[in-house]
Amino acid sequence: MSTIVIGLSLSFLLFLLAAGLTLIFGMLGVINFAHGALYMLGAYICYQIVQWTGSFWIGLALAPLVVAGLGAAMERLALKPVYDRDHVYQLLLTFGFILVIEEAVRLVWGLDYKQVPTPDLFSQPVALFGSQIPSYRLFIIVFGAVVSALLFLVIDKSRYGMVIRATSSDSDMAETLGINVSRVRTFVFALGSGLAALGGVVAAPLVPIELGMGFSVIIDCFVVVIIGGLGSIRGAIFAALLLGMARALGFTYAAEWVDLITFSLLIVTLLTRPAGLFSRKGRAA
Amino acid sequence: MTISSRLGQLIMAAVIAGMILVPLISRSEESLNLVSLILIWGLFAVGFDLIFGLAGMLSFGHAALFGAGGYALTLLMTKAGLGFMPALAGAGLAGAAFAFVLSILALRVSGLFFSLLTLALAQLAYILASTKLRAFTGGLDGLPGVPRPELFGLDFYDNRTFYYFLIVVFLVGLAVMALLRASPFGKALRAIQANAVRADQIGFNVQRLRQCAFMISGAYAGVAGALLASLMFYISPQMLHWTTSGDVLIMTLLGGKGTLLGPVLGVAVFELLKEELSQITQHWYGILGLIFILCTILLPSGIAGLFAGRRDKGDAR
Repeated sequence: MSTIVIGLSLSFLLFLLAAGLTLIFGMLGVINFAHGALYMLGAYICYQIVQWTGSFWIGLALAPLVVAGLGAAMERLALKPVYDRDHVYQLLLTFGFILVIEEAVRLVWGLDYKQVPTPDLFSQPVALFGSQIPSYRLFIIVFGAVVSALLFLVIDKSRYGMVIRATSSDSDMAETLGINVSRVRTFVFALGSGLAALGGVVAAPLVPIELGMGFSVIIDCFVVVIIGGLGSIRGAIFAALLLGMARALGFTYAAEWVDLITFSLLIVTLLTRPAGLFSRKGRAA
Repeated sequence: MTISSRLGQLIMAAVIAGMILVPLISRSEESLNLVSLILIWGLFAVGFDLIFGLAGMLSFGHAALFGAGGYALTLLMTKAGLGFMPALAGAGLAGAAFAFVLSILALRVSGLFFSLLTLALAQLAYILASTKLRAFTGGLDGLPGVPRPELFGLDFYDNRTFYYFLIVVFLVGLAVMALLRASPFGKALRAIQANAVRADQIGFNVQRLRQCAFMISGAYAGVAGALLASLMFYISPQMLHWTTSGDVLIMTLLGGKGTLLGPVLGVAVFELLKEELSQITQHWYGILGLIFILCTILLPSGIAGLFAGRRDKGDAR
């Protein structure tokens, strides 16, 4: 039972992260290498806010906003000038961001591990189906489900979501129709960055906060996004569930092989269906 | 996209003269070490640019080829008892062979997916080297005591002598690459980068050519990795880590991709900046990242692009 809960909580965490990555790719055609670094930054900022205020919930509310603002600045200052260039340049730019963000974190918080305590509300395990379940894990599942539902409503049903989708499928036409394409792009990048940070904040009480935390996560994200199909939110949900459960089972039964299995999964998917299981034609540019 | 040939030759001659003179002018071991590093990473970057600059494929897996060379040299000398030169050739072969395996898988996809796949494959190699293959690689601790050559009765454990050996290997590598780039093979790679579909229609075997380029590039990476291990007397899985692939990418782009000397220039600037910045602040890597971001936006064809006339400016492609 606890394996399932851990698997589900891991899945929703992965989904939060992958959703941001897949949004940015689907809408802007940019693979954001720095997504893992933004996730890390979210966790560190949450740590700092907890240090100052003592409240995890303030961190949960503020850290993603701060990182979203940073994302907007990154998009405006650096990505905007290179949209019309080869994909490689955008990859390179976001790679440069990793170096800068990691250095900034090292400068501000140093090299040692940081820890965010589990919020009081969820510090006690609860009994469920005859086993003790950490309640914070349950919180992640519910929170992740709510966020993904909201995201789905915004992108697929709302008017603003329609504008975003129109911009992604034909930016010239959208421009002609009077949509401020440049502003939409900034918004999407900020949203994606904010989601990465949200993932970092939610993960903060579970994992040691350290410099390397972004990298292992970004690989999992790539796996999810690629299995699900770049740009597809639905696919990301499915793939996050798949990978989350696989990892939880892996940690229980074959801990040493988890990383190898993850990478193999990524490699096999890239080889067999690089466009993913749920990709819509034309979106995975 | 080349530095005009007369100017290029002049710079080349000056640089070679400078390199030969370094140990005579400067008595300090640091500057010798710095130039040695530039030669080794230069060789790596020159090989990397064959597929990145010429064929237009962004590999994020070159660290694995670099590391493969280092481990191959070490194991061939310590476990198999080979001499340095056969082991160095073995390192080049190991790089090419590993590149062959990678290319079978990675060349099935293109563009971004190629980059991600090479990254994933190399990272898999990194994990294997640091965990499952501990018996051969020494795990995360790495292997100390990587040997240096014993040739013509010279003492290569003397940094100066080893440095001259590095110059010879570097110049041979550079000359071979110059020939390759000017050959029909090099031109075919350019054609593939410009328009792969059209190149295929004309009758080029695009995949075969890409694979060849990847393997040659792998051989360069392997030799460079072996030399680095030998210079430092040490090898660890850190050499295979994805940040190593990132470093060679930064160097190549900084100097100017798609040119013969651009990547070497990039390596020199990178190493000098690192040397200088690390004296001023321990946060040099972040500053380097900033410089890299600015270069990507403002100087897409790198420092070498500054020398190329106006008509070549803009996108290096």
